[in-house]
Formats: sequence, C-alpha cells, structure tokens
Amino acid sequence: MNFTLSTLIQQIINGLSLGSVYALIAVGYSLVYSILLFSNFAHGGFLVVGGYACYFLLTQWGFNTAVSMAGALAASGLTAVLTERLAYKPIRERTSITLYLLIASMGVNIVIENLFVITVGGRIRALPQSTFPTGVFELGGGVTVSASDILSLVVAAIFLVLLQLFLTRTRWGLAIRAAACDLRTAGLMGVNVTFLIGLVFFVAGLLAAVGGIFLSVRYSLYPQLGSITTKAFIAAVIGGLGSLPGAVLGSLILGLAEMLTAGFVSSQMRDLVVYSLLVLILLVRPAGFFGRTASEKI
Amino acid sequence: MAGTGRILLEAQDICVNYGAIAALSGFSLKLMEGEIVAVIGANGAGKSTFMNALMGMVKLAGGTILLDSYPLTGRTWKAVQGGLSLVPEGRRVFAPLTVEENLRIGAFTRKDAGDIQEDYDWVFSLFPRLKERLTQYAGTLSGGEQQMLAIARALMARPRVLLLDEPSLGLAPIVIRDIFKELRRINEQGVSILLVEQNAKQALLLSHRAYVLQTGRLLKEGNSRELLQDPDIRAAYLGQGA
Repeated sequence: MNFTLSTLIQQIINGLSLGSVYALIAVGYSLVYSILLFSNFAHGGFLVVGGYACYFLLTQWGFNTAVSMAGALAASGLTAVLTERLAYKPIRERTSITLYLLIASMGVNIVIENLFVITVGGRIRALPQSTFPTGVFELGGGVTVSASDILSLVVAAIFLVLLQLFLTRTRWGLAIRAAACDLRTAGLMGVNVTFLIGLVFFVAGLLAAVGGIFLSVRYSLYPQLGSITTKAFIAAVIGGLGSLPGAVLGSLILGLAEMLTAGFVSSQMRDLVVYSLLVLILLVRPAGFFGRTASEKI
Repeated sequence: MAGTGRILLEAQDICVNYGAIAALSGFSLKLMEGEIVAVIGANGAGKSTFMNALMGMVKLAGGTILLDSYPLTGRTWKAVQGGLSLVPEGRRVFAPLTVEENLRIGAFTRKDAGDIQEDYDWVFSLFPRLKERLTQYAGTLSGGEQQMLAIARALMARPRVLLLDEPSLGLAPIVIRDIFKELRRINEQGVSILLVEQNAKQALLLSHRAYVLQTGRLLKEGNSRELLQDPDIRAAYLGQGA
C-alpha cells in the first residue's frame, strides 16, 4: 500500500514534469495553428535546432548555461521565422489551402533533421553534466525528485506565465489574439500581418527551444529528437487545437497518463495509452477540451 | 456636413481581376473632405471588391488610389495609418474578445494614449449601449450591437475616411434607421464617409453623392437626391417600377 502510494506520488511528479515540457512545445504548436490554421510539423525541427545550439554553445564555445540557453532560444526563434518566410509565406500568398502548408512543414522537418545528420552526425549526445543541477531530493516514503525535474517544471511555468502576460497585457499580444480569431480583420485594424506572423513563429520557436533543451537533459540529443513533438501535437489536439489553455491541460494529462502507465503497468505501454487516449478524445469530443465549437454570429 | 471641395480620397481607373474574371474594370471615384458618398449596385457588382481594393486587401490589376493626392502603397496597415478605416461586410467583430478589447484593437495604429481615452468617450456618446457591455464578449452581442461595435472599433483608429461595406446587411429596419442616424452624426463631427450598399434607398437618403456600379463598371453618378428621383434607378434599385 505504502509502496503504491509513493509510486503514485512519484509518478505524478514525473508526469507533471514531463507534461510541462510537452506544454512548452504544444503551446507553440497551438499558437501557430490558431493564426494560420495548419499543424506546423516543422516545430520538431525548431526544437532540435534549440537543443543543438545549446549543446554547441556549451561545449564548443564554452559559454555558461544562461548564455547558451538564451542563444539556443534565439537560434530556434530565428529558424522558425526563416522557415515561415522561405517555406510558408510563398505558399500563403498563392493559395488559401492550408494543406500545402502542412505538407511543406513536413518537408522542412525532414530538411532540418537531415541537415544535422550530415553536418554533426546522427550520434546521440548528452548535454555536459555540469550544465544543469543533477541533485536528487528525498521527499520521504521513497519518493524522490530530481533537480532537473523541478527546474523544467519551474522554467516551463515561468515561460507559460510570460506568454500569457504577453498575450493579455501587450498591444501585440492583443493583436495576436484578434488574429487568432480572424486574421484578415486583424489586418484591417492596421496590424502589419506579415510582422505578426513572424512574431508568432519567433515565440513558437523560442518555446520549442526551451522544450528541446529540457528534453535533451531528460533523454539525450539526436537529430530525430523532434519526433517527440508528435506527443505535443496529440496534447494540443486533446486540449483543442488553437487553444493555449487547452494545450497546457492536454500536455499535463498526457504527461501524467504516460508516467502513471509507466509506474503501474509497464513502460512499454506508454504510447499505447497515449494513442488510445487520443482516439477516445476524438470520438467523444472531436474538437478537444477547449476547441472552437461555438459558432459565431455572422 | 457637406463637401468642402477638397479631394480627400480619389480612386482612378481601378481594375481588379479574380483569375480570368474582371471584378472591376476601370472604376473611378472621388470623395471630398466632409462628404458622404455611396456606391450602390446589385450583388456581384464589385462593391466589396472596391472597398477591399481601397484597403489594399486585393491586388490592383490597374489604377491608382490617392489619399490627399499621395498614392497608397497597397499595404493594408499603411492605409489604416493614412486614415482609412473599414467596417467590413458581416461586421467581423472579434467574437472571443470583449467589447473593450475590440475597441482597443481598433486603436492599434495609434500611440497617443490621452486622445484614445477621448475617443472612447466619443464612441460611447454615439453608442451608449457599448459602454454597458464593455466587459461582455463581442460574440454575445445582438446583430445590431455588433454592427455598432464594428463601427465604433473602426472609429477608434480616428479615421479621416470611414468606409462601410454593407452596414445594413442582415439588420432589422428599425436598427438600420438607428445606425444610419449615427452615421450622419459621425459625419457631422468631421469624418468623411464612403459606404457601399445594396440597400440603395437608405444609402441615397444618407449620402450627398452616389455612384451606381454595374458588373464592375460605372453606370451612373450624381447627386444622391437626384438619383433618388431618377426613373431608371427607381426601377432597377429602389423596387419602384416606372
């Protein structure tokens, strides 16, 4: 009994920590979706750029953790902006069919992944030990929390709160929320839509980098690390694509579901549970928890 | 307020194509400072296309748009900064945002915080009901209230020309009357107005001058009062057979 309870608490902590990393990725996904109405599968690529930028800033140039992280965030944000300008903007200007954007984003993801394979190689890397705190805290009853888990939870929470403040308290944040509702009409308000889309991609890329760094710490760094965004995508769908609170909720649910399955059933069943959850949600609530279902008055 | 004789907005030979179809073929229009000008015409005549062309929302295949005799660049946000503000067809309020947020985004291009407060007071004096609904989501407003919000939102940009695309669409006659009354008040306070309407009678009653558009070309233009009496216009657009 005691064993089960401590496992439960342990796995809840692990689940929240993992879920918070998913949330960083899923929120960026959802943000782009809310403006341009397509699933940006290159998001995984942004995350990988962030991971590698952090790795090389730490190991090759010897910067400290804070500077390396800031550099990684910037690199990832700029990659996202560049991707939008080079791959999506030309399509957006020619057609309103978002399927083409989705296909292009898959292509970009493959390009980024393979750029890393051919330049730095496909081998698995780990961020240097000294980069992040490695301590483990004993909470009693056999429950332990690693410092990196706490760090990722705290950092994710800080970034999500900052994003929320940006969206609700600033002029451009309001413009983004208006554009999520109706991009064309936001343009009529005098919002420079091209700049706004760039800004959204920059923010999404930046958040992906934070996720990428913590995933590199939790697991390891390799060119295909971006494939983990499938999970964030599922989280975003569960929460309701385009909804930011939905993306966070979906991510936490997913993180908890994975870790509880790992703790009480088997680690190998994690993905089965995740995908079953997705199918179930799509059957019961196709728009997710906070998806757009309410019809607007015309 | 009637025109002062100074040209504020001028569209010269505007052509817009959608693929192989010509939506506008050489349409020209002038708006004097202080004037209300209406563009009337049937569905598909190119009225909305013309509005979108002025705002830089569609590409011109030909022609020039001059504001204060300076050409507009075709970028929407620059048109708004220059002083054009459009109330789009179907109102297009931001449903998940509050009334207050809708007004705030209307003032997006402005940086003069003090004057913005003045303009809140101004739009509330025009549409007192919006003040009561300030914290409500725009999507929960009635159709008439949404139209008021859309107009107020456009006014928050403090435009020199207020453009309206079918402001009467889908509204009850009594609501239309109220809205048009407020449009006249807005004009009396110094805002020039350009509106396109299928409701030709209301548009001609409100405006000083009007242009009749038919399949992308000018059919007739003139003094609105005279057009109201024109037998062809009466037969074709006012439902009063000669």
